[in-house]
Amino acid sequence: MSLPIEIYLMQSMHGLVYGMLIFLVASGLTVVLGMMGVLNIAHAAFYMLGAYFAYSVTVYLGNFWASLLISPLIVGALSLLMERFLLRGTYRGGHLLQLLLTFGIFFILGELVRILWGTNSFNVPVPRLFAGDIPFMGMAYPLYRLFILGFSFFVLIGIALILSRTRIGIIIRAAVSDSDMVDVLGINIPAVFSGVFAGGAVLAALAGVIAAPFISVYSGMGLDALNDCFVVIVVGGFGSLWGALIASLMIGQLKSLGILWIPKLAIVFEFLLMAVVLIVKPTGLFGEKE
Amino acid sequence: MRNRRVYFGAAIAVILLFLLPQFLPEIYVHRVTEILIYALFAVSFNLLFGYAGLLPFGHAALFGVGAYVSALIFKHYPSTPLLLTFVIATFSGMVPGLVIGFFSVRLKGAYFALITLAFQMFLFAVALRWRSLTYGDDGMGVTRPDLHLFALGSISMRSIENVYYLTLVLVAIGILACYLFLKTPLGNSVVCVRERDMRASFLGYNVFLTRYAVYLFSGLLASLAGALFVFFQEFVATSSVDINMSMTCVFMAVIGGTANFLGPVLGAAFYLMFQDWISSLTKHWWIVLGICFVLIVQYVQGGLISLFTTERVRLLVSRWRR
Repeated sequence: MSLPIEIYLMQSMHGLVYGMLIFLVASGLTVVLGMMGVLNIAHAAFYMLGAYFAYSVTVYLGNFWASLLISPLIVGALSLLMERFLLRGTYRGGHLLQLLLTFGIFFILGELVRILWGTNSFNVPVPRLFAGDIPFMGMAYPLYRLFILGFSFFVLIGIALILSRTRIGIIIRAAVSDSDMVDVLGINIPAVFSGVFAGGAVLAALAGVIAAPFISVYSGMGLDALNDCFVVIVVGGFGSLWGALIASLMIGQLKSLGILWIPKLAIVFEFLLMAVVLIVKPTGLFGEKE
Repeated sequence: MRNRRVYFGAAIAVILLFLLPQFLPEIYVHRVTEILIYALFAVSFNLLFGYAGLLPFGHAALFGVGAYVSALIFKHYPSTPLLLTFVIATFSGMVPGLVIGFFSVRLKGAYFALITLAFQMFLFAVALRWRSLTYGDDGMGVTRPDLHLFALGSISMRSIENVYYLTLVLVAIGILACYLFLKTPLGNSVVCVRERDMRASFLGYNVFLTRYAVYLFSGLLASLAGALFVFFQEFVATSSVDINMSMTCVFMAVIGGTANFLGPVLGAAFYLMFQDWISSLTKHWWIVLGICFVLIVQYVQGGLISLFTTERVRLLVSRWRR
């Protein structure tokens, strides 16, 4: 059975869009992990909350663009509270404690979503500006997906510029490599931690908002994203932003082309990729620290 | 002195557990059987978490393999002696244990947690998709075979009381084996490696092999728990390899207390009884559980069992006297 080349291109394009979406979620996770040593499992719940808030705001205000602003703000505020009142006490208690704690919070947030919004899945309408298709390789391609691609690319450039060109970025990169030393130099590390944590949550919520019209809003989306993010940060290497980008794009391609190749085993591929990377290089493609 | 107390307590517990079906209604015997099976699972988890300092987020992988292997034997080879089935199912946990352990025990902390989780998700995907063998998420029902003992004739497993006794014996063997394992030099070196792996390796311990061995041993216990679970439920589905099953043993062990050998047992009992009670009040059992879990991680890091330890009791008494 051979499919026309357009099908492969189409799927590959789809994989690119999905990969960028996963990158938006995983980027916050990997920076927090590299800097604070906290593997924040609740991060995927921020993504899910972002999507649910997007749904509610779109329903009540009738405007998708408002949700792109409001939803990340709410989630960011929530993450600040969580960092300040739950997580901060555990930094001295070891990483396993934080894993357990964020795991519990992931659970609570997931259940709260089910209580507040129910277990039905929701469709968020595509904003009118990007509704419709454009011709692409002789087929129609949804315009909204191109918006996702453009938006996430824009955010990627933004993160890269902030990290490499601003003073805050220098402090963050220094804190990733040695936070104690930065603390001694007179920089308020707890405040930087809070800020980075909230920044990561905002990124996850943004991803949730723009994902909402693309893959609908459902109560299992947190867990699905969590799986992909785990694979991304393990393959890319803990704390590496570029590793996360490349791994996300790989996962996107693997998922979308894998479905064409052996549909039944598509969900197995990403774990195989992870296993292969771990065998060849246990710290991930771009990871340095053990 | 301490040892004598431990033996005394254990003896009383065993006698009580043996007498239990005589004065408890059948429905509770069901519940206690379930508690015993989960207790074994939680103990095998805590062997890794509490003693080896490794946090596996995908421990259901090994539980699920034991469950599926025993279910397949029950279904396709019903004439296999029951105890042989348990032995095969227990040791079948070795196969994924050898692979997963080989790649995961080289890593620590979050790496270890994620890699075990990934392997569990992989096995979950296989169980979900290989429908011709596993029936996917529909699951498959099996029939409990009777226990044939050479001299004593056969014991019917249709009565829950006999199921309870067999489960009790096997779980007791498993937990005792775990206890004795920790008393061996290997068991001590597991704790030594947890405390400081670099120093242990300078002293000549093979860090990798020590962790590998404890991972395999924990896998045996988890597979036995999985096999018992299928034997008890007469049913297996992807829910025995899914992430909820992995989470369940984390919850049980942490709530019960991971610094104490019997903490996970208490945790399993508390978890299941608490679940019954909360479920009768509200349908949002999971959020109550999540909040309990966060509170325990934040404030009672020794888990529930630390509330009963002698130091704590002494402290309370002295406070009360003052």
